[in-house]
Amino acid sequence: MSALLLVIYVVFGVAALLTLWRIVVGPSILDRAVASDVLLTEVLCVLGAEMVINQHTRTLPVLLIIAAVGVFGTISIARFVARRDNVDR
Amino acid sequence: MTMLLRAASAVSAVSVGDSPVTDAATPLDAWLNGAALVLILIGALLCLTAAIGLLRFRDVPTRLHAATKPQVLGLILICLAIALSLRSWPVVAFLVPVVLIQLATAPLSAHMVGRQAYRNGTLEEQSLFVDELAESRQTPPAAGG
Repeated sequence: MSALLLVIYVVFGVAALLTLWRIVVGPSILDRAVASDVLLTEVLCVLGAEMVINQHTRTLPVLLIIAAVGVFGTISIARFVARRDNVDR
Repeated sequence: MTMLLRAASAVSAVSVGDSPVTDAATPLDAWLNGAALVLILIGALLCLTAAIGLLRFRDVPTRLHAATKPQVLGLILICLAIALSLRSWPVVAFLVPVVLIQLATAPLSAHMVGRQAYRNGTLEEQSLFVDELAESRQTPPAAGG
Protein backbone atom coordinates (compact mmCIF):
# COMPACT_ATOMS: atom_id res chain seq x y z
CA MET A 1 0.00 0.00 0.00
CA SER A 2 2.80 2.42 0.81
CA ALA A 3 4.43 1.71 -2.56
CA LEU A 4 1.19 2.82 -4.23
CA LEU A 5 1.23 5.99 -2.12
CA LEU A 6 4.83 6.65 -3.15
CA VAL A 7 3.94 6.23 -6.82
CA ILE A 8 1.03 8.67 -6.40
CA TYR A 9 3.28 11.25 -4.75
CA VAL A 10 5.94 10.95 -7.46
CA VAL A 11 3.41 11.20 -10.30
CA PHE A 12 1.79 14.30 -8.81
CA GLY A 13 5.15 15.93 -8.19
CA VAL A 14 6.50 15.24 -11.68
CA ALA A 15 3.29 16.54 -13.25
CA ALA A 16 3.46 19.74 -11.19
CA LEU A 17 7.11 20.30 -12.11
CA LEU A 18 6.48 19.81 -15.84
CA THR A 19 3.51 22.20 -15.73
CA LEU A 20 5.62 24.74 -13.85
CA TRP A 21 8.29 24.42 -16.53
CA ARG A 22 5.72 25.25 -19.19
CA ILE A 23 4.63 28.30 -17.18
CA VAL A 24 8.27 29.46 -17.00
CA VAL A 25 9.26 28.95 -20.62
CA GLY A 26 5.86 29.27 -22.35
CA PRO A 27 6.36 31.39 -25.47
CA SER A 28 3.01 33.21 -25.34
CA ILE A 29 0.86 34.38 -22.47
CA LEU A 30 -1.92 31.99 -23.57
CA ASP A 31 0.44 29.04 -23.05
CA ARG A 32 1.04 30.28 -19.53
CA ALA A 33 -2.70 30.68 -18.97
CA VAL A 34 -3.38 27.10 -20.08
CA ALA A 35 -0.53 25.78 -17.96
CA SER A 36 -1.67 27.69 -14.87
CA ASP A 37 -5.17 26.29 -15.38
CA VAL A 38 -3.69 22.79 -15.41
CA LEU A 39 -1.71 23.60 -12.26
CA LEU A 40 -4.89 24.78 -10.53
CA THR A 41 -6.68 21.57 -11.50
CA GLU A 42 -3.75 19.63 -10.14
CA VAL A 43 -4.03 21.52 -6.85
CA LEU A 44 -7.67 20.38 -6.74
CA CYS A 45 -6.64 16.78 -7.39
CA VAL A 46 -3.88 16.91 -4.75
CA LEU A 47 -6.26 18.31 -2.14
CA GLY A 48 -8.75 15.52 -2.87
CA ALA A 49 -6.04 12.86 -2.76
CA GLU A 50 -4.77 14.21 0.54
CA MET A 51 -8.28 14.02 1.95
CA VAL A 52 -8.56 10.38 0.92
CA ILE A 53 -5.14 9.43 2.23
CA ASN A 54 -5.49 11.16 5.59
CA GLN A 55 -9.23 10.42 5.99
CA HIS A 56 -10.56 13.88 6.82
CA THR A 57 -13.03 16.31 5.25
CA ARG A 58 -11.58 19.68 6.22
CA THR A 59 -10.58 20.80 2.73
CA LEU A 60 -13.92 20.09 1.03
CA PRO A 61 -15.00 23.79 1.07
CA VAL A 62 -11.60 24.73 -0.40
CA LEU A 63 -12.29 22.27 -3.19
CA LEU A 64 -15.66 23.88 -3.88
CA ILE A 65 -14.30 27.44 -3.85
CA ILE A 66 -11.35 26.65 -6.13
CA ALA A 67 -13.63 24.89 -8.60
CA ALA A 68 -15.98 27.88 -8.62
CA VAL A 69 -13.43 30.71 -8.79
CA GLY A 70 -10.61 29.17 -10.82
CA VAL A 71 -12.16 29.98 -14.17
CA PHE A 72 -12.01 33.73 -13.79
CA GLY A 73 -8.24 33.87 -14.02
CA THR A 74 -8.12 32.21 -17.41
CA ILE A 75 -11.08 34.17 -18.77
CA SER A 76 -9.65 37.50 -17.64
CA ILE A 77 -6.26 36.66 -19.19
CA ALA A 78 -8.01 35.83 -22.47
CA ARG A 79 -9.91 39.13 -22.43
CA PHE A 80 -6.77 41.09 -21.57
CA VAL A 81 -4.91 39.55 -24.50
CA ALA A 82 -7.82 40.51 -26.78
CA ARG A 83 -7.58 44.15 -25.76
CA ARG A 84 -3.83 44.23 -26.26
CA ASP A 85 -4.28 42.69 -29.68
CA ASN A 86 -6.84 45.30 -30.80
CA VAL A 87 -4.59 48.13 -29.61
CA ASP A 88 -1.67 46.70 -31.55
CA ARG A 89 -3.73 46.66 -34.70
CA MET B 1 -34.60 25.90 23.02
CA THR B 2 -32.62 22.87 23.97
CA MET B 3 -34.25 20.98 21.16
CA LEU B 4 -33.20 23.72 18.74
CA LEU B 5 -29.66 23.59 20.03
CA ARG B 6 -29.62 19.85 19.77
CA ALA B 7 -30.89 20.04 16.20
CA ALA B 8 -28.29 22.67 15.35
CA SER B 9 -25.49 20.59 16.80
CA ALA B 10 -26.76 17.58 14.89
CA VAL B 11 -26.79 19.59 11.66
CA SER B 12 -23.26 20.86 12.26
CA ALA B 13 -22.07 17.38 13.04
CA VAL B 14 -23.59 16.19 9.78
CA SER B 15 -22.24 19.09 7.75
CA VAL B 16 -18.71 18.52 8.99
CA GLY B 17 -19.06 15.03 7.59
CA ASP B 18 -19.15 12.35 10.22
CA SER B 19 -17.09 9.95 8.21
CA PRO B 20 -16.78 6.47 9.60
CA VAL B 21 -13.31 5.79 10.85
CA THR B 22 -12.06 3.53 8.12
CA ASP B 23 -9.27 1.50 9.57
CA ALA B 24 -10.05 -1.37 7.24
CA ALA B 25 -12.15 -3.27 9.77
CA THR B 26 -13.86 -5.45 7.23
CA PRO B 27 -12.70 -6.78 3.85
CA LEU B 28 -15.20 -4.48 2.15
CA ASP B 29 -13.57 -1.46 3.78
CA ALA B 30 -10.11 -2.55 2.70
CA TRP B 31 -11.34 -3.20 -0.83
CA LEU B 32 -13.01 0.22 -1.05
CA ASN B 33 -9.90 2.00 0.25
CA GLY B 34 -7.75 0.17 -2.28
CA ALA B 35 -10.15 1.11 -5.07
CA ALA B 36 -10.02 4.75 -3.95
CA LEU B 37 -6.21 4.70 -4.07
CA VAL B 38 -6.26 3.19 -7.56
CA LEU B 39 -8.70 5.89 -8.72
CA ILE B 40 -6.37 8.54 -7.26
CA LEU B 41 -3.47 6.96 -9.12
CA ILE B 42 -5.42 7.15 -12.40
CA GLY B 43 -6.23 10.82 -11.72
CA ALA B 44 -2.57 11.55 -11.01
CA LEU B 45 -1.59 9.81 -14.26
CA LEU B 46 -4.10 12.01 -16.11
CA CYS B 47 -2.43 15.07 -14.56
CA LEU B 48 0.93 13.71 -15.72
CA THR B 49 -0.32 13.17 -19.27
CA ALA B 50 -1.62 16.75 -19.32
CA ALA B 51 1.78 18.02 -18.20
CA ILE B 52 3.62 15.93 -20.79
CA GLY B 53 1.21 17.15 -23.47
CA LEU B 54 1.81 20.74 -22.39
CA LEU B 55 5.53 20.20 -22.82
CA ARG B 56 5.51 18.32 -26.10
CA PHE B 57 2.76 19.88 -28.20
CA ARG B 58 3.57 22.82 -30.43
CA ASP B 59 0.92 25.53 -30.25
CA VAL B 60 -1.86 26.75 -27.99
CA PRO B 61 -4.87 24.72 -29.31
CA THR B 62 -3.01 21.41 -29.16
CA ARG B 63 -1.78 22.22 -25.65
CA LEU B 64 -5.35 23.09 -24.76
CA HIS B 65 -6.42 19.69 -26.02
CA ALA B 66 -3.98 18.02 -23.67
CA ALA B 67 -4.78 20.35 -20.79
CA THR B 68 -8.52 19.77 -20.60
CA LYS B 69 -8.22 16.05 -19.91
CA PRO B 70 -7.57 16.10 -16.15
CA GLN B 71 -9.88 19.07 -15.67
CA VAL B 72 -12.96 16.92 -16.07
CA LEU B 73 -12.08 13.23 -16.04
CA GLY B 74 -9.30 13.48 -13.48
CA LEU B 75 -11.41 15.53 -11.11
CA ILE B 76 -14.36 13.14 -11.51
CA LEU B 77 -12.07 10.21 -10.66
CA ILE B 78 -10.65 11.99 -7.62
CA CYS B 79 -14.12 12.93 -6.37
CA LEU B 80 -15.24 9.34 -6.87
CA ALA B 81 -12.25 8.26 -4.80
CA ILE B 82 -13.19 10.69 -2.03
CA ALA B 83 -16.78 9.40 -2.00
CA LEU B 84 -15.61 5.78 -1.95
CA SER B 85 -13.13 6.39 0.82
CA LEU B 86 -15.14 8.59 3.18
CA ARG B 87 -18.54 6.96 2.55
CA SER B 88 -20.91 9.61 3.89
CA TRP B 89 -23.74 11.43 2.15
CA PRO B 90 -22.77 15.00 3.19
CA VAL B 91 -19.42 14.51 1.50
CA VAL B 92 -21.21 13.38 -1.66
CA ALA B 93 -23.43 16.46 -1.41
CA PHE B 94 -20.25 18.56 -1.37
CA LEU B 95 -18.65 16.70 -4.26
CA VAL B 96 -21.56 16.84 -6.70
CA PRO B 97 -21.49 20.68 -7.01
CA VAL B 98 -17.71 20.58 -7.40
CA VAL B 99 -17.99 18.24 -10.39
CA LEU B 100 -20.95 20.12 -11.87
CA ILE B 101 -19.19 23.50 -11.56
CA GLN B 102 -16.07 22.07 -13.14
CA LEU B 103 -18.11 20.55 -15.98
CA ALA B 104 -19.74 23.94 -16.59
CA THR B 105 -16.64 26.11 -16.40
CA ALA B 106 -13.86 24.04 -18.01
CA PRO B 107 -15.32 24.42 -21.55
CA LEU B 108 -15.82 28.14 -20.89
CA SER B 109 -12.17 28.87 -20.20
CA ALA B 110 -11.01 26.50 -22.95
CA HIS B 111 -13.28 28.25 -25.45
CA MET B 112 -12.04 31.70 -24.49
CA VAL B 113 -8.38 30.69 -24.68
CA GLY B 114 -8.85 28.88 -27.99
CA ARG B 115 -10.63 31.85 -29.55
CA GLN B 116 -7.92 34.22 -28.41
CA ALA B 117 -5.26 31.86 -29.74
CA TYR B 118 -6.93 31.93 -33.15
CA ARG B 119 -7.24 35.71 -33.16
CA ASN B 120 -3.70 36.27 -31.93
CA GLY B 121 -2.28 34.00 -34.58
CA THR B 122 -0.51 31.85 -32.01
CA LEU B 123 -1.41 28.67 -33.87
CA GLU B 124 0.28 27.08 -36.83
CA GLU B 125 -1.71 28.04 -39.90
CA GLN B 126 -0.41 25.23 -42.10
CA SER B 127 -1.59 22.62 -39.61
CA LEU B 128 -5.23 23.58 -40.17
CA PHE B 129 -7.12 21.46 -42.68
CA VAL B 130 -10.33 23.51 -42.54
CA ASP B 131 -10.40 27.17 -41.53
CA GLU B 132 -14.01 28.21 -41.27
CA LEU B 133 -13.18 31.33 -39.26
CA ALA B 134 -10.96 32.85 -41.94
CA GLU B 135 -13.56 35.32 -43.18
CA SER B 136 -14.49 36.46 -39.69
CA ARG B 137 -10.99 37.87 -39.36
CA GLN B 138 -11.75 40.58 -41.85
CA THR B 139 -14.70 41.86 -39.84
CA PRO B 140 -13.97 44.90 -37.68
CA PRO B 141 -13.44 44.32 -33.96
CA ALA B 142 -16.69 46.08 -33.05
CA ALA B 143 -18.76 43.70 -35.15
CA GLY B 144 -19.21 41.39 -32.20
CA GLY B 145 -17.48 38.72 -30.21
